[in-house]
Amino acid sequence: MSSAQIEIQLIASIVAVACAIPGTFLVLRKMAMISDAISHSILPGIVIGFFITHNLNSPLLILFAAFTGIITVVLVEYIQKTNLVKEDTAIGLVFPALFSIGVILIAKNANDVHLDVDAVLLGELAFAPFDRLIINGADVGPKSLWIVGSILLITLTLLITFFKELKVSTFDKGLAASLGFSPAIIHYGLMSVSSVTTVGAFDAVGAILVVALMIAPAATAYLLTTDLKKMLVLAVGFGIFSAIMGYWVAHWLDASIAGSITTILGLVFLMVYLFAPSKGIIAVLYREKQQRIEVSLLTFLLHLKNHDELEERHVKHLNEHINWQKVRSKSVLDLAQKNNMIHIENQIVSLTEKGDAFTSKAIDYIITNRDAQIEDMKDDFFLFRG
Amino acid sequence: MSKIAVKVDDLTVAYNYKPVLWDIDLEIPEGVLMAIVGPNGAGKSTLIKSILGILKPIAGSVSIYGKPYDKQRQKVAYVPQKGSVDWDFPTTALDVVMMGTYGSLGWIKRPGQKEKKAALEALEKVGMLSFKSRQISQLSGGQQQRIFLARALVQNAAIYFMDEPFQGVDASTEIAIINILKALRKAGKTVIVVHHDLQTVPEYFDWVTFLNVKKIATGPVKDIFNDDNLTKTYGINYKVSIQE
Ligand SMILES: Nc1ncnc2c1ncn2[C@@H]1O[C@H](COP(=O)(O)OP(=O)(O)O)[C@@H](O)[C@H]1O
Ligand SMILES: [Mg+2]
Repeated sequence: MSSAQIEIQLIASIVAVACAIPGTFLVLRKMAMISDAISHSILPGIVIGFFITHNLNSPLLILFAAFTGIITVVLVEYIQKTNLVKEDTAIGLVFPALFSIGVILIAKNANDVHLDVDAVLLGELAFAPFDRLIINGADVGPKSLWIVGSILLITLTLLITFFKELKVSTFDKGLAASLGFSPAIIHYGLMSVSSVTTVGAFDAVGAILVVALMIAPAATAYLLTTDLKKMLVLAVGFGIFSAIMGYWVAHWLDASIAGSITTILGLVFLMVYLFAPSKGIIAVLYREKQQRIEVSLLTFLLHLKNHDELEERHVKHLNEHINWQKVRSKSVLDLAQKNNMIHIENQIVSLTEKGDAFTSKAIDYIITNRDAQIEDMKDDFFLFRG
Repeated sequence: MSKIAVKVDDLTVAYNYKPVLWDIDLEIPEGVLMAIVGPNGAGKSTLIKSILGILKPIAGSVSIYGKPYDKQRQKVAYVPQKGSVDWDFPTTALDVVMMGTYGSLGWIKRPGQKEKKAALEALEKVGMLSFKSRQISQLSGGQQQRIFLARALVQNAAIYFMDEPFQGVDASTEIAIINILKALRKAGKTVIVVHHDLQTVPEYFDWVTFLNVKKIATGPVKDIFNDDNLTKTYGINYKVSIQE
């Protein structure tokens, strides 16, 4: 690997981590869309910052842009508070307006400078290593690396310092407020970090990839864990993985790096969405099917409990009287037998002691909706897992 | 007469300049178990949120033992209405109860062994210890409410506010919760509960406030829980007394 290749991967990975952290909280706060809005509406901030400083490399530019990001959030909230439109509509109103102001400002005034919309939206990671930071004549590395590195450092420090506050205000705003952790301060703090991260990162990777890196890893991690810390770690992991994989895919296919990373992010999400152990589509479908069978099982067991007559307990009766198809009857019988709840003699089905006890307990649960006594059953049966 | 735990003066609260609470005056004596009753949309939740500084009133003031809420946070615990949190949030029952300790920790400081022990004790009290590692969406409605109660208990406050703690819970949880509330009152705490089931008011509570945008009445259940006040609050005629 050349040093440029290493630098690109390093920048992409750092951006991924810096995005995954605020992204996790945005996803949990159901604010994924706002990152999209921020990433677009910071454009006028950059342009105005450029008019004032006449220097595309000025750190003031980042501040101006981050400030526009905050204005976006405030505007969206203001429109939303009027209760005339929903949040996503408010977002949809604000960011195209701000973005187009930016585009117009560029078209009118900055024709002669290097500020073009394509570069802003897509970025070009491949060029990042060529823009070096020179201090006292010494080359200390790509400028982007320093920018995104500093942002990551700030983000990490804030995360570690205010983890508890972020958690409680995201989970339960009312409690946070009553405990004295101003949810508004935390909210705008998070929005500021998101804005600064977006601005700092998009110079390197473009607006679209910034949004993808904020949302996709967090959304993927959300499907896999029930622990906030693990969710953060997973999101960071998915981000880094996609950044590096994406880089090499782009390398092999000679494609855009940002585009490849976005694609990998999408693929990773898709895989997890399908195959996640408990929240994945396949697991959910399987669980629903199991629950259907279990309801049938219970119906059947109850039938056995209520009927002593032999003809009511004949295997054939399942198909004819309870009106079940063969497949269903068979899976119910199998499940009951596997759990030693019934025994079948001469085609006549009877409850075992265990089956009898199980039926009573289950019925009791369904009637009283009391959980304590069926805790042990939850491991074997989906039906009772809420 | 005993000390005043909560005092509300001329409180008016609005959403988007539309007042939903008008000029409320209210004194809650220390040591009562009080129900706030009123129809849907009467402003019951709004009243509690304003007392707790979650909403800013457009007029009036609130004091807790004679001082503003800001100074008295540690004395107050709050159980919000059930719908107000995201149950799919990646967190466990124990973790949620631990959040009750955050107030005493203040900013930045993190919970440690002491806080964990307090949280486990509170879980034990509400009969939920065996569920401590369960993700909160995998708890039944009644269990979720017990977790909220445990979180309030861990705050070890003097005044407890609960917004419809019996909403969507089964009979046994309701009994368990009311027993804990009665035990709190016995220990000298003040407990304020938004309550919907008028039938059980005389049985559960000793103090009641009728609210419908304005305060209709407040006082001991035995003196003021009558058809007259119910009619004023709910607008319909309460012919048959629901008292025994
Ligand atoms: N966030 C809000 N924005 C606007 N109006 C609200 C908001 N919350 C409550 N309201 C309105 O304020 C009134 C009182 O609400 P609330 O205090 O929740 O009533 P209660 O708890 O007694 O059912 C209702 O008319 C409700 O529609
Ligand atoms: Mg309410």
